[in-house]
Amino acid sequence: MAHDFDTMLRTIKDKQWSLADVDWDAPGAETITDEQRPKLKQFMADLVWIENIGAMGFAALADKAPTETIKQIYKYFHAEEQKHANAELALMKRWGMLDDGETPEPTVQVKMAIWVLDNFSDDMPLTGLATLIPMLECALDGALVKFLLDEVSDPVCHEVFRHINSDESRHIAVDFQVLDVVGAGPVRRQLIESAAVLKPQVLLGLIVVFVPLLNKMRDNIVAMGLSEQKLYNAVKRFVSNGDRSANTRRIPAYQMFKQQARMVIDRTHPYHRFLADPLVKLTNAFPARLLGKPPSWSKELTHEPVDR
Amino acid sequence: MNTTTGVLVIGAGFSGLGTAIRLSQAGITDFVICERAGDVGGTWRDNTYPGAGCDVPSLVYSYSFAPNPNWSRAYSGGAEILAYIRHMTDQFGLRERIRFNTDITRLVYDDDTGTWTASTKDGHTITARAVVSAVGALANASYPGIDGLDTYRGHTMLSSAWDHSYDFTGKHVAVIGTGASAVQIVPELVAMAATVKVFQRTPGWVLPKANPHHPSWLTELFRRVPTTQTALRQALFYGHEAMALGVVWDSAVTTLLQQVSRRYLRRAVADPWLRRRLTPDYRMGCKRILITSDYYPALQAPNCKLITWPIYALSANGIRTAEGIEHQVDCVVFATGFDVYNAGTPFPISGSGGRVLGDEWLAGAKAYKSVAVAGYPNLFFTLGPNSGPGHNSLLVYSEAQIDYIVQAISLIRRDGLRSLEVRKDVQEEFNRDLQRRLARTTWNSGCSSWYLTGDGFNATMYPGFATQYARGLATLDPDDYLATKAG
Repeated sequence: MAHDFDTMLRTIKDKQWSLADVDWDAPGAETITDEQRPKLKQFMADLVWIENIGAMGFAALADKAPTETIKQIYKYFHAEEQKHANAELALMKRWGMLDDGETPEPTVQVKMAIWVLDNFSDDMPLTGLATLIPMLECALDGALVKFLLDEVSDPVCHEVFRHINSDESRHIAVDFQVLDVVGAGPVRRQLIESAAVLKPQVLLGLIVVFVPLLNKMRDNIVAMGLSEQKLYNAVKRFVSNGDRSANTRRIPAYQMFKQQARMVIDRTHPYHRFLADPLVKLTNAFPARLLGKPPSWSKELTHEPVDR
Repeated sequence: MNTTTGVLVIGAGFSGLGTAIRLSQAGITDFVICERAGDVGGTWRDNTYPGAGCDVPSLVYSYSFAPNPNWSRAYSGGAEILAYIRHMTDQFGLRERIRFNTDITRLVYDDDTGTWTASTKDGHTITARAVVSAVGALANASYPGIDGLDTYRGHTMLSSAWDHSYDFTGKHVAVIGTGASAVQIVPELVAMAATVKVFQRTPGWVLPKANPHHPSWLTELFRRVPTTQTALRQALFYGHEAMALGVVWDSAVTTLLQQVSRRYLRRAVADPWLRRRLTPDYRMGCKRILITSDYYPALQAPNCKLITWPIYALSANGIRTAEGIEHQVDCVVFATGFDVYNAGTPFPISGSGGRVLGDEWLAGAKAYKSVAVAGYPNLFFTLGPNSGPGHNSLLVYSEAQIDYIVQAISLIRRDGLRSLEVRKDVQEEFNRDLQRRLARTTWNSGCSSWYLTGDGFNATMYPGFATQYARGLATLDPDDYLATKAG
């Protein structure tokens, strides 16, 4: 299938928006109830950090992009994920969840994910990252954001997520187009790339960090009232998008993440009892100070639409 | 009003003045120099931004026929280079030969008379047997096409047209671009302004620059024993020649130079994320190498910030980037480079039979030895197509072109020729060989740069050593040309 990445890049440039376009003082903040606030704060904080991790994922992808145009697209996506995190912070600020200049404290699982991305994202093969990111985005777009918009009636929140969803639809479209391109490559390369996933540091990073990160968020959100059906729909979207391309189906990393996604949504699967839940417990007890100073890229988030 | 002269030299920058000096020394004195501005100096007259300087040592970045023992340091600043050009102009009595504020708008060749007629903006014409176009490679700059540029209410300036009346003290400033000019401007602005945000699209490879002052005894030695200056110039020249092995050709030396640059980056920049954003992802030499020891420290100053998010628009108060933030600033400095004529000409040139050079160069400029073009007799270029070095002094190339041009004009005069025109087949063969050799160079190794046209055609750089280039131009072979006798 031929993909027109040049047109996509032009569209991305044309569709840019800024936090300054949003009236953050418009009425509607008062619709958030005191009952909602603490849980919503945790949800939003998780969302912000997932966006930030996604941003860094795109930065790593930009370095591995198969063409110059795709590289440019990934550079924009890196910035857009950062924009989404910034906008979500601005919503938190609007809802009285943050002080001036404050960024929510990441969970230990997020800190570990940041550490792994900072240290090993360059070692991760293109196919691994290129598959992981659309999976996260489908979950974000299909479940988390839909849930948020069901729960929150603040019109500013809805306005912001109209922008975010529009961006995400392009991210997901490109993600799958790139998987199609990568999957069309020679089998030999697929095998080499798959072998790279098996490098101890990459495998350990994926299992020890992303398994509990996903599970903790999953459980947090389900506890807040997100129906498992929404998660199921999100994964279905990931799988149906991916399976549509014979090339994508050939990618071992895609097959791997597809299986993982299926296990994540099914709470009765032994995956939870034997791997994910124990890892959540284990990582909860992990002393975050061992990870050292957080990288400077994780400190660039801001809720201020204007910087002087 | 029409003026008739033997040779018309267009431009009073380094190349134009150098041509005039060498013409005079060859006994050709009926020439006119037209300069569009009110002073000599070309790019060094225009680029007066704070920190402007040359990244080639002054002993080599000067003409061998106009040595200057008084350079104050290894790499002189722009003001000192401009002073050298002005001094050279007076020393060789050229000022009265220059028509200042004379902007050439068109150049037309007459096949019957074998002469060129130049039209000027103020309605005059100048007719000459031979024309030397010394308009410079980096003479014009314009604002880049960023959305909303016209809506921005703050101050703007181009690095090449610095507004010296603007006081940066206490101001919030943005610099767009991180090329050769920007890395010189940023350290100066960081020292002056309240905050500086540097907007980078692509990082450059940086090599540190040691810039010692010339001690007084050295200057004295150069004055008393000029051969010592010549010897040091030669040593520096050959030192730079060696760099070609890594800068011109994509080779193991390129990798070695990249390692030197990476090591310098690691030593100079502590933060891994900043380091990563400053690490280029293309082969060194593919874009112009940045020679500076001041840039990395300036970027890490508390009042300076490197922004690598893509710019998508300017708004009334600042710059909007794709991470959703509006960066509000009082002034935007555009250090975004020059309009390089690698696919056109700065003014219309009609040659033999009415052919238009701009049309012929649309797909990429081509010439013979960068100096002459088939179909355009008696017209010669300095800094023409494929004459750019990536590793050595441009003036070495310029000097070779000038001496070649002087040979050509001397031949026209000696043999009383109506026209001297390079043979088309010779030019084509020359360019076939040139493009074949360019394929192996760093410039053609895959990055996009101002060296290449939009289609990736390299019409700017010379794929070889400066010595090789100069040797190629040392002797004009009359067999390469079609000569027509007058009358």
